[in-house]
Amino acid sequence: MVNAAKVLQDLRASAERKPDVVVRLGKPLVENGAVKKLDADAWLVYEQVAIAALDVGDDALAQRCIQALEQKFPGSARVRRLHGMKLEAEGELIQAGEIYKAILQEDETNILAAKRQVMLLRAMGLPSDAISALVKYLDINYTDFEGWLQLADLYLEQLMYSQAAFCMEEVIMLQPQNHIFHLKYAEILYSQQSIGLALKQFCRVVELCKDHVRGLYGIKLCTSHLLKLSPSKDSTATSQEDLKAIDLLATERLIATYNAASSSTKSVSTKWIENL
Amino acid sequence: MAVQQSPSYFGKLACLFGFLLLFHSGYSTFEHLSYLKAVDGHESGLPTDIVVELLVSVAIFGLGIVLVADNFKEILMETEMAKQSIESLDARPSFYSFNHRGRAVFRNVVLKK
Repeated sequence: MVNAAKVLQDLRASAERKPDVVVRLGKPLVENGAVKKLDADAWLVYEQVAIAALDVGDDALAQRCIQALEQKFPGSARVRRLHGMKLEAEGELIQAGEIYKAILQEDETNILAAKRQVMLLRAMGLPSDAISALVKYLDINYTDFEGWLQLADLYLEQLMYSQAAFCMEEVIMLQPQNHIFHLKYAEILYSQQSIGLALKQFCRVVELCKDHVRGLYGIKLCTSHLLKLSPSKDSTATSQEDLKAIDLLATERLIATYNAASSSTKSVSTKWIENL
Repeated sequence: MAVQQSPSYFGKLACLFGFLLLFHSGYSTFEHLSYLKAVDGHESGLPTDIVVELLVSVAIFGLGIVLVADNFKEILMETEMAKQSIESLDARPSFYSFNHRGRAVFRNVVLKK
């Protein structure tokens, strides 16, 4: 019981989406009332289990959690948002939209409801409306990196790479220490054919996270691409000698990283490097 | 990558010993002062043996702490970031959507304990 609560707390902190784990651990807590012993944490657990239950389609459990929260916090916007999310999960998108609209009418700064509306528009199959709603939201809350990240995703779904790259630049400005964001940005640049810039970003990924395999593969892709081209006249571009040195170094690190892996994985990676 | 060090029993013993000495020197000081009060003496300062005992106890205590303490942790933020998975670094809890396969996949599955 104590362990389950600890695991749930860790999952809340790391924000990882593992609904099966949350429901498996949280369902007994909610059903036998042990969750009440957690004092203030109990309500967070209820919310967490409710959302996870929606993820795995256990609507009865979600309903139970939301009811418990409603009794404790009648009329709270956060609980009403959970109601809306339940309706969303059940496919009642229009009713869910009305809930969010009501919350925003009372308090137009409610960011949780505003974010839900964006996802609602996306679920309705109106991606351009979702994008404009999110742009409007980010106009006000421009320090919300989650929002920028989501906007980048929405743009990527529409194959609008340069807009997505702009969003990732904003994200990196807000969270420069997160290598995953640099990786995302680098991959968008690579898809956009800005190989030179992508190479620099992939190098940044490896700088922030030592021997990051996806970053190393990215470097390999960029250098092999650039080395096939004729040397560019641009003075800001990386020189051929540097490219060769980076390529060699990335290959070396990849091989060293895969040395610990199983022989089949190792052979696949070696083959890939040779064929590049 | 912190290598789990086996607990240093010598260090723990040193800590305990140092603490007992420290406690004893404190108690001796108290005794000494109440004795002075009783005999109405005007002696200032403490006897050398108490001072020496105190200094020795602090030295032993310090040594014990150094031996018992764990390995140092990296101060760089990157090392902490590198340990986290892409799922948690790229998570967006406020932007969940529910029209995904999970609802269909888990519907008839009983999640075992």
